[in-house]
Amino acid sequence: MKHLRKLSYPYLVWMVLLVFVPTLLVLLLSVSDLDVFNAGPFRLTFEWIEFLGKPKVTNAVRNSIYYSFLATFFSFLIGYPVAYYLASLKTRFKTFYVTLLIIPIWSNMLLRIIAWEKLFFPISILNMFGISFDLIGTDYAILIGMVSMYLPFMVLPIYSVLEKMDRSLVDAAKDLGANDFQTFYKVIFPLSISGVVSGTIMTLLPAMTAFALPERLGAGKIQLIGNVIEDYFLKTNNINAGSLISILLMVVIVFMFIAILRFDKEGETLI
Amino acid sequence: MDKVLVELKNIKKSYDDTEVIHNLSLYIKENEFLTLLGPSGCGKTTLLRIIGGFETHDDGQVIFDGQDMKDTPAYQREINTVFQNYALFPHLNVFDNVAFGLRIKKLDKDTIDTKVKNALRLVKLEGYEQRPVSKMSGGQQQRVAIARAIVNEPKLLLLDEPLGSLDLKLRQDMQYELKEMQESLGISFIFVTHDQEEALTMSDTVVVMKDGVIQQIGRPEDIYNEPKNRFTASFIGESNIVEGVMKEDYLVHFEGLDFTCVDKGFAKNEPIDIVIRPEDIVLAAPADDRINGVVDDIIFKGVHYEIIVLVNGREYIIHSTDPVNVGDEVSLNFDPDEIHVMKRTDEASS
Ligand SMILES: Nc1ncnc2c1ncn2[C@@H]1O[C@H](COP(=O)(O)OP(=O)(O)OP(=O)(O)O)[C@@H](O)[C@H]1O
Ligand SMILES: [Mg+2]
Repeated sequence: MKHLRKLSYPYLVWMVLLVFVPTLLVLLLSVSDLDVFNAGPFRLTFEWIEFLGKPKVTNAVRNSIYYSFLATFFSFLIGYPVAYYLASLKTRFKTFYVTLLIIPIWSNMLLRIIAWEKLFFPISILNMFGISFDLIGTDYAILIGMVSMYLPFMVLPIYSVLEKMDRSLVDAAKDLGANDFQTFYKVIFPLSISGVVSGTIMTLLPAMTAFALPERLGAGKIQLIGNVIEDYFLKTNNINAGSLISILLMVVIVFMFIAILRFDKEGETLI
Repeated sequence: MDKVLVELKNIKKSYDDTEVIHNLSLYIKENEFLTLLGPSGCGKTTLLRIIGGFETHDDGQVIFDGQDMKDTPAYQREINTVFQNYALFPHLNVFDNVAFGLRIKKLDKDTIDTKVKNALRLVKLEGYEQRPVSKMSGGQQQRVAIARAIVNEPKLLLLDEPLGSLDLKLRQDMQYELKEMQESLGISFIFVTHDQEEALTMSDTVVVMKDGVIQQIGRPEDIYNEPKNRFTASFIGESNIVEGVMKEDYLVHFEGLDFTCVDKGFAKNEPIDIVIRPEDIVLAAPADDRINGVVDDIIFKGVHYEIIVLVNGREYIIHSTDPVNVGDEVSLNFDPDEIHVMKRTDEASS
């Protein structure tokens, strides 16, 4: 086994160079006044915390939470039945439909966002069918965009637990007098909860941290936390405040993953 | 005891063009203990699933308590099942598993408590209430499955090899408890087992099945003593099965000799199969008007010896409490009523 360990060295190098070092840099930037024009010396400061209270930031946090929770909620409403249906299919069709669900993930997300953007302008290819939307910059545009982007991440973990669930448990519940509804909420749903938790977090995270999507579909009017970080880094050149927000966001994400692992100890729902 | 509870009429069932239940008819009375006995894959589980409502039959009728069950979903049938693979709910502990059906019926908490406790005592699992079922052994899980079904006191209980994973002692205890409960609660049991001894000791009626066809239905004694064909005879207990010819009523010819017997109603000189149980044969000194052979082997089996006697190249099994020596010349002796003549079936050589 030991010599196999060498094979993991490239991965370790990659981890250190592209994950560990940048994270450390961001951490340092968030608690000092080092920046592009000030290379040293290091001086500890917590002055960037006051940026967290600025309306621009609080607004973005509120937006991030609002849109990501709504998008996750709708993804769940749509995704659970889809996952349930897929899991109940005969094996032959299963693979085919699941592939259909995954294919969009393989195309570039930015392209898909731009495609939606085009459809949401009053003048679009949809006019051919006598349909015209004027949705750019509205909640609908952001939510439809998010749900369409992240739905597969909700469906797949739920599908994978339901797929593995022993069908005879449904028979057993029926045998004991449970109707379809009771069977669902007493047996099927509780047994799929680990998939639901994974799916929720896998949807919530990218939705919360999205920035290309709100920028294009929100027409710049709707800012999420990602947009604010981008602004601080690229537009207002305040990389320290941007770093602090990034670090805090990372902490939230780590906590969410701990939550997944608590519900799903073998990690079977994380594809 | 005499009222018919379930009647199966001409049931047919196919999976992907293979018919696994062929035109099967059967009834079970109230408070009857009926056992389905047959080799693996003969359709026992399928039949239980049809009665329970988990599988739809292609043709025929299931009549339960006078009503055609065609449009009654599984959850509305007053039937409970002990599934072959237990099918316990992995997210619930032992207590909640057993209480599942009672909670669906919305019984009050105290009643549920008492009933679950009773059921767990019956299967000897008191004190395990809070255990997650995943932390139980196979035999314990099987007993939880039994408790979960019986606690509902249905009219009919379907048990699919419910004692398969238990050791001998526990198995015998549970056989006794189940039989006792079936009699005292007045529940009808349809019990599936591979174990012919279990079938014979527990049942009022035994149904022997093969390839989705009923071979014989009868009381345990009848099934054992009067097997209808070679399959039943060989499936129920050890036996010596020999081909012969029915010369006329009460006269049968085999191993080159004529014997009087108690069977009649066969055609003149009809080829038949004969079964003689190992314990019905008595060994004696060789004689001209007897089947003679040589002792080939003797095995001590605890209660008795199993003796193999070679007769014209054919092995006979004899159970006896008296030992003999290998190489002894002996004759086989049996009474006319210990010769059971059976109709020759198509696959006579199986
Ligand atoms: N869902 C199914 N799809 C296809 N074939 C099936 C299905 N269920 C059972 N069969 C087939 O039907 C036949 C009868 O199966 P069944 O499970 O009823 O046998 P059994 O008598 O219960 O066997 P065992 O003693 O091994 O439990 C078998 O040939 C089996 O392969
Ligand atoms: Mg079976």
